[in-house]
Amino acid sequence: MEGSRIEAASTVERGEPGGTPATPHAGGGERPLTVRDLSVRFGEHTVVEDLSLEVEQGELVAMVGPSGCGKSTTLNAICGLVRTGDAVTVTGDVEVPDGVRLAYAFQNDALLPWSTARRNVEVGAELAGVPRSDRPRVATELLEQVGLKGFDTRYPQQLSGGMRQRVALARVLAYQPDLILMDEPFGALDAFIRMSLQNQLLDVWARTRKTMVLVTHDLTEALILGTRVVVLSPSPGRVHRVVDNREWGEQRRAETLRSTTPFLEKYKALWETMIELGAAQRTGEEEQ
Amino acid sequence: MRSVVVLRLVVLAAVIGLWQALSGPVVDPYFISSPARIASDLKDGFVGGTLARDIGVTMTEAGIGLVVGMLSGILIGLMFGFFPLLDRVLEPFLGAVNAIPRPALAPLFVLWFGLGMTSKVVVAWSLVFFVAFYNAYQGVKSIDQDVVNAVRVMRASRLQMLRIVILPAVFTWVFAAFKLSVGYALIGAIVGEFVGSTSGLGYQLTQAQGLLDTDRVFSIVVVTGVLAGLVLYLAALVENKVLKWRPQVSFG
Repeated sequence: MEGSRIEAASTVERGEPGGTPATPHAGGGERPLTVRDLSVRFGEHTVVEDLSLEVEQGELVAMVGPSGCGKSTTLNAICGLVRTGDAVTVTGDVEVPDGVRLAYAFQNDALLPWSTARRNVEVGAELAGVPRSDRPRVATELLEQVGLKGFDTRYPQQLSGGMRQRVALARVLAYQPDLILMDEPFGALDAFIRMSLQNQLLDVWARTRKTMVLVTHDLTEALILGTRVVVLSPSPGRVHRVVDNREWGEQRRAETLRSTTPFLEKYKALWETMIELGAAQRTGEEEQ
Repeated sequence: MRSVVVLRLVVLAAVIGLWQALSGPVVDPYFISSPARIASDLKDGFVGGTLARDIGVTMTEAGIGLVVGMLSGILIGLMFGFFPLLDRVLEPFLGAVNAIPRPALAPLFVLWFGLGMTSKVVVAWSLVFFVAFYNAYQGVKSIDQDVVNAVRVMRASRLQMLRIVILPAVFTWVFAAFKLSVGYALIGAIVGEFVGSTSGLGYQLTQAQGLLDTDRVFSIVVVTGVLAGLVLYLAALVENKVLKWRPQVSFG
């Protein structure tokens, strides 16, 4: 039924189910994501206000900000999980061209607990329209790519948190998305595994040139992964600052980059920005 | 594992042997029967008698009650999951009906549906339904919103959502209680036969009781016990197969 489909390809305003595609060709040169003046209100409470963001093909944008600044809400509004309803008002434009496929990786791996790693990845392939006979091969290949060769028949419960997160990444890739949203995908993992997964994500990104938008509250992670780091200010969330990281290049590694002088300088500046934002938030609370 | 099986057989042989040895000099076989008399009665029951047919009748009643009970429970459970208003309105009524001991309703069912199989199927169904219903409903409610969202964002159709996420969650929960359901189905069928019937294990049991035929009572009890044990063992195999993604639980 079309009714349950998320019209990621449409703007928030014309989020009609089953709407006809406006642009026949897509994915190519078009900008995969444009957000204009996005505001999200839960009742009286404004969570995101006038947020604008343009994400170019092949970019890896990291969104960072103090907790409660509406990072996740922004992602949810982009993919249509948050939309105007009883308690929520969403205004502004989210434009994802029609041919752009969107996938979402959650902090919680969101795997099907009753299915094996391979079957979980096959779900991504199935929803991408891959023929049934090709799915096992696709899934096995992708599991191999994320370093899980030989774990095909394991159930999520039999895998560590880091492995589960990699299965989730493989599932996302099996869907062959053009735009990947990630909400703190490594948030629940310890520092070492986190770094190795950051490298793995960079590998996947360098190889596939998928456009990615990643939300994190970890400044180091944001600076390592993001070709651009978007700093959001808290309550309500809006773009406070943008850090350009294109100088890192595509071949960056988490463990070496984080000890270079340019990185440390940017980290210090970003940290000071966060302190300012934190202070601003506290003053704001005292006024109320 | 093998040694455990051996020990079990030893225990079984010891109990049977002791019973047989004490029968006669110490205990009166008129009241307690004896393994030898039960064995001979079972032979009569199977060879010349109707025991095989009675087993078939009871198992058929329990089987139909089980399948219909599970299917209807899953269906209604899904509906409750999809329409929360149903739950809010009907929950106390269902709780009340579920609190009624169903065997107490067996006389009514026999009155309504006659002495044949139907009334026993209904008793079995009335027990199995609630187990399946509550588990199916719990299964729908237990589904992780993130899982739904992850699949929904990948533009799964409603049918795909049902097949990939909802039904597996529901089946997992319903089959987690499969052993319970199987036991209930068997109890339902036999209790139904107690109340009024013309064949089946419950019928034979009441007949033997009326005739003070202790041997026959014991052989029916033995048959029922062995059947129930066998069926529950198979149900445990099904449970473990379906739930193999979970950490292994004991066979209980």
